[in-house]
Amino acid sequence: MQAWMWLGPVIMLFVVLGFVTLAILFERKVIGWMQSRIGPNRVGPWGLFQTVADVLKLLLKEDIVPQKADETLFKLAPVIAFVPAFAVVAVLPFTDSLVFADIGVGLLYFIAISSITTIGILAGGWASNNKYALIGAMRSAAQMISYEIPLVMALVGVIMAAGTLNLSGIVEAQKEMWFIVPQFIGFVVFFIASLAELNRTPFDLPEAESELVAGYHVEYSGFRFAFFMLAEYVYVFAMSALTTVLFLGGWNPLFGFTFLPPLIWFLLKFSLIVFTLIWIRATLPRIRVDQLMQLGWKVLLPLALFNIFLSALLKEIPGIGSYY
Amino acid sequence: MLRTEEMLLNVGPQHPSTHGVFRLVITIDGETITEAKPVVGYLHRGTEKLAEDLTYTQIVPYTDRMDYLSAMTNNYIVVHAAETLMEVELPERAEFLRVIVMELNRIASHLVWFGTYLLDIGAMSPFLLAFREREQILDLFNDLCGARLTYNYMRIGGVKWDVPEGWLDQVRAFISNMREKLKEYEDLVAGNEIFLNRTRGIGVYSADEAIDYGLSGVNLRAAGVDWDLRRDRPYSVYDRFEFDVPVGKNGDLYDKFTCRMEEIRQSLRIVEQAVDQFPEGPVMAKVPRVIRVPEGEAYVQMESPRGELGCYLVSRGKDKPYRLKFRRPSFYNLQILPRLLKGENVANLVAILGGIDIVLGEVDA
Amino acid sequence: MLGLLKGMGVTLKNMTKKKVTYKYPDEPVKMPERFRGIQHFDPEKCIVCNQCARVCPTDCITLTGRKHPDPNKRGKIIDTYDINFEICILCDLCTEVCPTEAIVMTRNFELAAYSRDELFKDMEWLHDNNTKIRGGSQ
Ligand code: SF4
Ligand code: SF4
Repeated sequence: MQAWMWLGPVIMLFVVLGFVTLAILFERKVIGWMQSRIGPNRVGPWGLFQTVADVLKLLLKEDIVPQKADETLFKLAPVIAFVPAFAVVAVLPFTDSLVFADIGVGLLYFIAISSITTIGILAGGWASNNKYALIGAMRSAAQMISYEIPLVMALVGVIMAAGTLNLSGIVEAQKEMWFIVPQFIGFVVFFIASLAELNRTPFDLPEAESELVAGYHVEYSGFRFAFFMLAEYVYVFAMSALTTVLFLGGWNPLFGFTFLPPLIWFLLKFSLIVFTLIWIRATLPRIRVDQLMQLGWKVLLPLALFNIFLSALLKEIPGIGSYY
Repeated sequence: MLRTEEMLLNVGPQHPSTHGVFRLVITIDGETITEAKPVVGYLHRGTEKLAEDLTYTQIVPYTDRMDYLSAMTNNYIVVHAAETLMEVELPERAEFLRVIVMELNRIASHLVWFGTYLLDIGAMSPFLLAFREREQILDLFNDLCGARLTYNYMRIGGVKWDVPEGWLDQVRAFISNMREKLKEYEDLVAGNEIFLNRTRGIGVYSADEAIDYGLSGVNLRAAGVDWDLRRDRPYSVYDRFEFDVPVGKNGDLYDKFTCRMEEIRQSLRIVEQAVDQFPEGPVMAKVPRVIRVPEGEAYVQMESPRGELGCYLVSRGKDKPYRLKFRRPSFYNLQILPRLLKGENVANLVAILGGIDIVLGEVDA
Repeated sequence: MLGLLKGMGVTLKNMTKKKVTYKYPDEPVKMPERFRGIQHFDPEKCIVCNQCARVCPTDCITLTGRKHPDPNKRGKIIDTYDINFEICILCDLCTEVCPTEAIVMTRNFELAAYSRDELFKDMEWLHDNNTKIRGGSQ
């Protein structure tokens, strides 16, 4: 038990880092393919070590702290941004046995911890003492507040149906029917809101390179920058895993194809989500900041509320009620 | 109202969306722009002054570097100015070749605009897809005159090279391919709600304003002014081709987009007709080896991808011009920018700036 | 919403299409016959007429000649011939005016160097740059 307590998280860290390495490569490859290019292919076979080389380069780079920056905060910010990203991974159930912390309020824990990252971003943007960084950080905070609410609201339907906040419990509840079907509105709202939470295209306003150069991390270099990047991709990992758990039935197989082990099922669904994220990034332009707010408050939030209402209503209808 | 503090923000000269070395000093209140001051001149090379010390042949490669996205039209305006004063009779084949390359160059230039504009708005793929097609045009030019960007193709009295073997067929193949790809582009962005929201009703100005500010080209037509020099003051052999001039209604960014896309279509039409009617004959007129332009002055104008490109030439009968002045459309079109940016959101800044379609090489000359 | 999906379709379709990028520098890019690359210079042919230096728009050619060593022959022979590739714009004008084709374009274009001094090419270097000459074989 003791060894497991220590080794587990360390192994997990490497798994997550491995995923990040692969995800970045995969992202660049897929986007390359979609743009009639072949993507990275210079480092290692099939470009496999491209990300490794990139990270290595970042680690070797000079660490620059701008003279007018708030040094303590500047140095602290990447840590504040990264730690929660990794901490949320703890509650994710990959299979019924592979879960680190099977706590009762897993979902709540995930949502709560993940919002801390924004503080890191805000701090980083502010401490940089750069106008672009400040605007990026402000946007990030505004975006987080506006999208956290529909995100959580969209989940209420799922929680109602599963009757638990425990993530393993939610997966168990999807044995018969994945929540993506009865909770479709919830899924759409959740997916859009999670895109915004991840700061990914079309909601990548905090770092919008064509407007704000690089947004909140414009002054960061070397390994501090790497930390921000890492946090971002660990969130991609976590969010995709969460989506899989909440709406795609986690490790539950499709059509009763049980010959594939649960972990493979999980990974398949998970990869699908990651691919969709990349695909969206390759296609869509960036939404404008005021339209982003409108979308969050005027479209997603009412939709999410409506979904709660609908779920509650349908729950009472005999026959299909069991799915809600 | 919440009290907010105004902030001075320096956009550029090194900024990913200023398309070169353009600087914009903006004052922002929150994310709203209260004032914008463009600062130009970082790329000034003194083309006009240099030209006074160069022979006419030597000026042509310099013009390649003004509007580097459509060097063919720049080549043309200079040789056209000299030819007008010299009253050279051009062989038909040369005229046709000029029209073909200028229209192809217009397509290439609009493709770059399309790609970079979408990149400004935040979509990556259109950029690479547009460059994929543009590459075919550059390859065609490479086959024709041995360079991909700085063509130095036109000479006073004609063009430097006749078409290589099979070139016209390649152009034909390109036309049909491009038509298909245009549909793809429209599928990719034209119906995209995010794109529509970001361009519809943004950066609006009226037709009168456009004229007051001296805008030309798509910037003028998008506001609803039906004015295209190719049709209204035909030069070269443009009067022999049939084409429409797309005109916008609202003068917003979306109209500029549709106008430019439609212009690509019309250019394809012109090229197609020119290739079909391509005459035989020489590509150079009989001109003396050392070109001396007779004394006099001339102003010639043409429709470059960016607007009215003009050239005012004063000659004192020497082999070098006494004064050469270019009316560079990007420079004039840029003037409306402070007016357009006032009161806009910062996020619209790049969209509006991109919509004007400036080339810094031309703005600063 | 439909527009978004249509766009997604386009990118997905492109994913499986043929890639258009070159394998440069693994595979050299083949340039067309008319390509304007680094010049090849043939001292034998040059008659030191100075036309190339005069027509050059950027003044990057410097040449000197001397009397023909054989007193029976008239004319001059070339002594030094340098092109400064820091400023040469490969405009093709020098090769266009040369009456004897002493200076011709090649299809070589790789000029990158670590120092600006290396971009100053002399007669010998230009003479040795004798592959892929325009109008020549291959
Ligand atoms: S190519 Fe042009 S710039 Fe270069 S040496 Fe010849 S004339 Fe001068
Ligand atoms: S133009 Fe030709 S022959 Fe005359 S100097 Fe130049 S290289 Fe020699």
